[in-house]
Amino acid sequence: MTVFKTYLKILSKCKMPILLYTVLLVFFGGFNIQNNSGSLSFQESKPSIVIVNEDERVGLTNNLISYLEANSVVEDIELEESAIRDAIFYRKVNYAIYIPKNFHRDFLNGEEPYIKINSTGDYQASLAEMLLSRYLNLAKVYRTIFDEEEKMIEKMNELLEKELEVEMTSSLDTTAMEKASLYYNFTNYCFLAGLIYVICLVLSSFKNEGVFKRTAVSSTDYRQLNRKLLFSNGVFAFALWLLYVLLSFVLCGKIMWSENGLLLIVNSFVFLFCCLTFALLLGNAIRNKEAINVLVNVIALGSSFLCGAFVPMSFLPKSVLTIAHALPSYWYISTNEAIKSLEKIEWNTMLPILVNMAVLLGFSLVFILATNWISRRKRQLN
Amino acid sequence: MKKIIEVKNLTKEYRELKAVDRLNLDIYEGEILGLLGPNGSGKTTTINCILSLLKFKEGTIKIFGKEMNPNAYDIKRQIGVVFQDVAVFDELTVEENIDYFCGLYIKDKKEREQCIEDAIELVGLEDFKKFHPKKLSGGLLRRLNIACGIAHKPKVIFLDEPTVAVDPQSRNNILDGIETLREQGATIIYTTHYMEEVEILCDRVVIIDKGKILAEGTIDDLKEMASIEEKISVEVYDLDPKHLDTLKAFKNVDTLKYENNSLLIVYKKGKNNLIELTDFLKKEKIKYNAINMMRPTLNDVFLDLTGKELRD
Repeated sequence: MTVFKTYLKILSKCKMPILLYTVLLVFFGGFNIQNNSGSLSFQESKPSIVIVNEDERVGLTNNLISYLEANSVVEDIELEESAIRDAIFYRKVNYAIYIPKNFHRDFLNGEEPYIKINSTGDYQASLAEMLLSRYLNLAKVYRTIFDEEEKMIEKMNELLEKELEVEMTSSLDTTAMEKASLYYNFTNYCFLAGLIYVICLVLSSFKNEGVFKRTAVSSTDYRQLNRKLLFSNGVFAFALWLLYVLLSFVLCGKIMWSENGLLLIVNSFVFLFCCLTFALLLGNAIRNKEAINVLVNVIALGSSFLCGAFVPMSFLPKSVLTIAHALPSYWYISTNEAIKSLEKIEWNTMLPILVNMAVLLGFSLVFILATNWISRRKRQLN
Repeated sequence: MKKIIEVKNLTKEYRELKAVDRLNLDIYEGEILGLLGPNGSGKTTTINCILSLLKFKEGTIKIFGKEMNPNAYDIKRQIGVVFQDVAVFDELTVEENIDYFCGLYIKDKKEREQCIEDAIELVGLEDFKKFHPKKLSGGLLRRLNIACGIAHKPKVIFLDEPTVAVDPQSRNNILDGIETLREQGATIIYTTHYMEEVEILCDRVVIIDKGKILAEGTIDDLKEMASIEEKISVEVYDLDPKHLDTLKAFKNVDTLKYENNSLLIVYKKGKNNLIELTDFLKKEKIKYNAINMMRPTLNDVFLDLTGKELRD
């Protein structure tokens, strides 16, 4: 207990940096979560249109206008050409439809009256175009079947009024999942910075040459003391992980109980283990306390920027991502991204995630072997 | 007297350099042994070998009659070490530091509490218990260093230059503390560069150079070994080279130096050297003032044996 208590006393001197990393995590990780609206429901989208009718509002023309009014938002603007152009430029209106004079008569006579349109060209305008095309194509078919306009309109309306039922095949709240993965991507920085700072600082105190010699001449088995130190470091790392996981439940809410959320937690645990082994390697190699701050900035900030912890991976140049493959953070963040878009938990979909986690464990193994090699080399030098 | 430490034929090499060369050393219960030697003479290497901090090529080391090795925890339990460099945790207070290092030997909390109190009292840090090392002066820091090394009440204590760069008050406190430890029955191995400390504290002295023991014995024994008998200094005026040549020719004179009206003559052996000198000065009608006669110091012995000043 003496070693663990001393560890805690030294740790208490590091509370400010730990607090700072946690505040950063809450601030940046929680920033995007505030406006989370969720995406589990389907809502029909209606384009904004304007209709310039030069025909009489009777028969087929009247029915077309009614259909468009029912399925879109008809904006109340001045029906002058310049006003319509302005409305389209400022995207107040997505689509302008110009119904020509004698439209219904010419159409029923088998002609193809020209309907002029003006559009913003975006997806809302495409929706309006789909509505218009659907109506005209149906009318073209029905005019060959029915001789009477009234009968034709009645049958057309029966068909047009049928609503399509949309069933969501995914139960994943993609917006909330996006926020959760952003939060966990940011933990890359907090885990690396927190563990490197604390473990290097504590180990530099315990393995200071004089203290090391005092311990070596004492009646305490040095290997046993090392095991106690390892245990203390493990407890600290686990506590930090638990804190950040609990915070994710507070900030991201129920999405964390989903399979994807739990996978994010598992992935963060694997990454935590990798960070712990890396921090132990640095702690054994470096004794200079002044160098620790520089290390934290270079390693934690550097790998966070290179691997997409702060900006999405898709924004990073290919060359940067190629270099990032050499860093554990890349595999952690890649896994978070894969978990984010994971629809079903199956062997095929899980395989890339498991491979990434295995790579992280591979990194850990390398760090453990390197730590052992350094420790042995230092003993031999003595 | 009972032997506490027995070192036989200890040899330690660093590549081609023999740091310790077939060294034999016995340390007896309750004594304070002064280990003297110029820098690089092998003192610290010898201590590190005894403590199993270093592997050695040849030889045996027994402490309390048992072979010493890195895993001899029952022996280590009885040993306290105060290294030359202060080795404490900057993040812990004085009390916490002593508690940690004492905890490496004593697991029982109550027993440890008493040991900590005693150690703090011994080095006089009662008013600084809650201070962090960075708030302590050099002297107080050295006292803390000692307290950390001896809090578990060891039977054998190694003190490696514990008074380097400390103020006189702290030095006196440390020396008093060492005396107290001896009174409590501890065996102490003490290395220092300060001859006066050796003369005050040590029962026996071992002089090492180039990894070998050059001389050992009590302080008087060592002084007997010196090839000088006495030194006489005289404040004297108008001494010309002819007089100096005559003085040099005196039978017992070893060396002679005349600087700034001060004449220093070192005599090898013999009696009545002072009478012989004053007679000569009177005869030559040379004016003289203060006369000082000195017995050889440990430093003279050291210089005589090693050819080096202790602080070379």
